[in-house]
Amino acid sequence: MIDPSEHLVVDCDWHYADTFTQVAPYMPEPWKTKFQKSGWGGTGVKQNLSAFFPASTGNRFNYGKIEREFSEYPDGGDDKQDIVEGMDHLDIDVTLQISHLILAMGGISADDRRVEAFVEGYIDYMLEEVLDPDEGIYGLAPMPYHDIDASLDVLDRIEDEEAFVGVVMVTAGASPPLGNRKYDPIYERCEEEGYPVVYHTGGSGLDDYVRAGYQDMIETHTLGFLESNMSQIVSVACQGVAEKFPDLEIVFMESGVTYIPGLVSRINEEYLKRSEEAPLLEKKPGDYITDFYFGTQPLEVSARPDLLEVCFDMIGTDRMLYASDYPHWDFDSPSVITDLPMLSDEDRKNILGQNAVEVFDL
Amino acid sequence: MSAETRVEVGPAADFEDGDAELVQVGRAEVGVIKADGKFYALRNQCPHDGGPVCEGKVEPRLVGEWGGPGERVEQEYDDDQCIISCPWHGWSFDIETGKHIGDDRYVLPTYEVVVEDGVVYVNAE
Repeated sequence: MIDPSEHLVVDCDWHYADTFTQVAPYMPEPWKTKFQKSGWGGTGVKQNLSAFFPASTGNRFNYGKIEREFSEYPDGGDDKQDIVEGMDHLDIDVTLQISHLILAMGGISADDRRVEAFVEGYIDYMLEEVLDPDEGIYGLAPMPYHDIDASLDVLDRIEDEEAFVGVVMVTAGASPPLGNRKYDPIYERCEEEGYPVVYHTGGSGLDDYVRAGYQDMIETHTLGFLESNMSQIVSVACQGVAEKFPDLEIVFMESGVTYIPGLVSRINEEYLKRSEEAPLLEKKPGDYITDFYFGTQPLEVSARPDLLEVCFDMIGTDRMLYASDYPHWDFDSPSVITDLPMLSDEDRKNILGQNAVEVFDL
Repeated sequence: MSAETRVEVGPAADFEDGDAELVQVGRAEVGVIKADGKFYALRNQCPHDGGPVCEGKVEPRLVGEWGGPGERVEQEYDDDQCIISCPWHGWSFDIETGKHIGDDRYVLPTYEVVVEDGVVYVNAE
């Protein structure tokens, strides 16, 4: 045995546990200030990670510009009272709760049971502590769709629960795309139970979609959510989900509305040239898409009013569902609908509530 | 300025840089803000969604300059331009002109502020 103190010893992997707080004062501007405003203390991510080195360019902190509560996802999480207060703040009577954490499920490639385990716990937790139809608080059950049997187990679990009124399919990362026959048993059961399928875009894969290497959130947030919904709409429409399950209500959530006329135009153009590749369709794929329902948030209030009018006209005000996305940083108040000049009061009421009452049988 | 057309805010000495005080000016709620030693007054209602913009962060505007092909955009805080950002969704306005920094068709109404005998007033007209 030798005495290390008498010999050269080289440790080739020592990790200095530096913190951003230690390093920031030594950083050059404007990065020093950007870091100091990055909201690192409230990220809910420990190990001193911060919005300055975010895991994704989906950095919603805006370098600390927004200090509104919940723009930072506090460690403690929501409870029922937060929902009640939020509903009161926005003048909302009924809300459908969607799990925030499940939106990252598309980023999981491990073939284990973590998604099913999470969904199982989430459903029991929400039923036990949060959902309350008497107060207008309902839930949508996440589908662990990579495993069909597990998804059917979830549907078994909720079938007698009044508090769950539909299911969520996270569009980001779903592979194969959600029109694939693999998912037919889920759709068949949802149709049978009267559960609308809510396709919800998600943050997972934001940085891998379309263009890896974006620098700022404005870039990924413009296209990331949009792309994951668009790709699933094309799959669901072309593979004939609506023909196979004619009573299934199909809802796409959280990509605004201005992309839909462009997508409908393109898919119809393709269909005119390659109709034989979509043999289940009895009409143009765009006609199925405009029969789907669409959540309005984030409504592009910056759009030219005549464009917005065309979008509403193509989708149909009977197919649009107000969604707030509260408490996320880019939530929409009901006023984005009530303030639209081209709508009649009846349209406004339908979009704000009546359409949802019918779709979700509330 | 007559006494009727102005609203008293309070002693100037009570304001530190970054402080904002809300006052009622006619039917409008107005935020009186001290930034970089100067007083500004802006309507406390974001034209986007009605948020309490004057309760938001006040900071220098981040600007960028392009050095040429292949060069990174160099960013720095411009101490001569101060912005205020609505705490609800982050819409940012030039604190002096009230104009949105990305689209100057959106303008937050501004009000004249005067300091007389150490007291801050907002011109109501």
